[in-house]
Amino acid sequence: MPVLPGEGLGRRPLHFIWLADCSGSMAIDGKIQALNEAIKEIIPHMQTVAGENPNAEILVRAIKFSDGAQWHIATPVPVETFKWPLLSADGVTDMGKALSMVADQLKSPPMPDRMLPPVLVLITDGQPTDDFSSGLKDLLNQRWGQKAVRIAIAIGDDADLECLQKFIGHTELSPLKAKNAEELVRYIKWASTAVLKAASSPASQPKGTPVPAGNIPIPTPPAPGPGGATDVW
Amino acid sequence: MVDAQWLVFGASVQGAAHLRSGKPGQDAIFWTGPPDGYASVVLAVADGHGSAKAFRSASGASFAVRSAAQEVRGFLEAQIDLSNLSAIKRIATEGLPQEIVRQWTEVVEQELAAKPLTADELQTLEAKDREAVERNPLLAYGSTVLAVAVTKQFILYMQLGDGDIVHVSDEGEPTRPLPKDDRLFANETTSLCAPGAWKDFRVQFQVISERQPALIMLATDGYINSYQSEEGFLKVGTDILKMIRDEGPEKVKHELHDWLTETSEKGSGDDITLGLVARTDLFQHQPSFLDRIVNRVIRN
Repeated sequence: MPVLPGEGLGRRPLHFIWLADCSGSMAIDGKIQALNEAIKEIIPHMQTVAGENPNAEILVRAIKFSDGAQWHIATPVPVETFKWPLLSADGVTDMGKALSMVADQLKSPPMPDRMLPPVLVLITDGQPTDDFSSGLKDLLNQRWGQKAVRIAIAIGDDADLECLQKFIGHTELSPLKAKNAEELVRYIKWASTAVLKAASSPASQPKGTPVPAGNIPIPTPPAPGPGGATDVW
Repeated sequence: MVDAQWLVFGASVQGAAHLRSGKPGQDAIFWTGPPDGYASVVLAVADGHGSAKAFRSASGASFAVRSAAQEVRGFLEAQIDLSNLSAIKRIATEGLPQEIVRQWTEVVEQELAAKPLTADELQTLEAKDREAVERNPLLAYGSTVLAVAVTKQFILYMQLGDGDIVHVSDEGEPTRPLPKDDRLFANETTSLCAPGAWKDFRVQFQVISERQPALIMLATDGYINSYQSEEGFLKVGTDILKMIRDEGPEKVKHELHDWLTETSEKGSGDDITLGLVARTDLFQHQPSFLDRIVNRVIRN
């Protein structure tokens, strides 16, 4: 087999970023533990999805926000070796800062045009305590921020659904509301498998024609549970 | 070098991801050239969208390359006064995109009349997609199209949607004759199926002077998306030119399908189509090769 023309073949990168609320309220009723357990539980499922599409290079990282925001996993980790360092909860809910920091990482360049649309999964139980609008503006000012698949999961009844809907950016998908640990696992699994799969093999969408909101058709999310005694949040 | 001769060939492969999922290839390629009795070369490639609602986009891409080649060929044959290049340029840039879109739309509508969309095709779509396709059945055939015409007097480059046109100088320097289209980002593309599609064409009319390109390549976006960098992709042109010079076009033609298949496997996973127009004075083997070039569509 002769050497191929050109130089530097490679899979198309897909950045998957968790945005996790680590405010003090997440320590109540076991929310932060449930979040840690849910993400740990779905890692093998993410790896399975990645294995089914070897032409996508799925890179995972995470940012946490409470008093300010900081990268929980700063360097993009190939999903094949991804491990979840446990989060702890304390402080307020500086969600806007987290969005700005993610925006900074999605600048193009250095992010290449050839990459697959990023997937951002925002998980929170509360109201932003900083300038959410400014953070969202920063994110949407980036081309890859606009084209990212943005999923929001609200834990319990106190999350600011209006902000989360703005984060999602269109009305065809609403924030998912987890009322208990099982629902949280279901939603996180959906975001990190079904949504990841859709984002990792996108078909072309013609501009100037009526298309679904967003450039990736989002699979139908899991239905909420029946509610009742198991709802703790 | 006014009387340069050109050789045209290419290949189209089904993407690795499409092979895994059982999806058909949705690219197409078509050319006409000197072996068919023409003095000039016309080459077109296309990439059908392949989304759920573009469920007939393999046909859409096939219609796209044939429509583009037919209209460009007709345009070339209609030019009687080849000395009036400014008039030719004006017609090419202003009128030809409309004719290509009109022809593609006509062919699609003919197929729709003969083979209406079926309940089976529509029932797999989500409600909003189904409504969109029922309102505008062209969406089912959505495709890009890239074309080049090479004559003794000028080269015409045309592009609607994503993909790449690269020309390579005698020194092996690759450049892009068309400006970048910032609308082509993420997986969004301009398309033949969009209203007013002709306005989205990018067209470049290049009068042939002393310096002609040694090689012109047209590729669907599965090719560039397989490379980690723009430079790495552009080097394809440099490398192929060198191979044609060193080993002859037969060798490149023989290897092309395997190259593209391996590139898709190790790269984007998408269908890849590559069409090449090479100046024949670059190599020594053109007579036997030219004799065997046939006008055809290669589509997997």
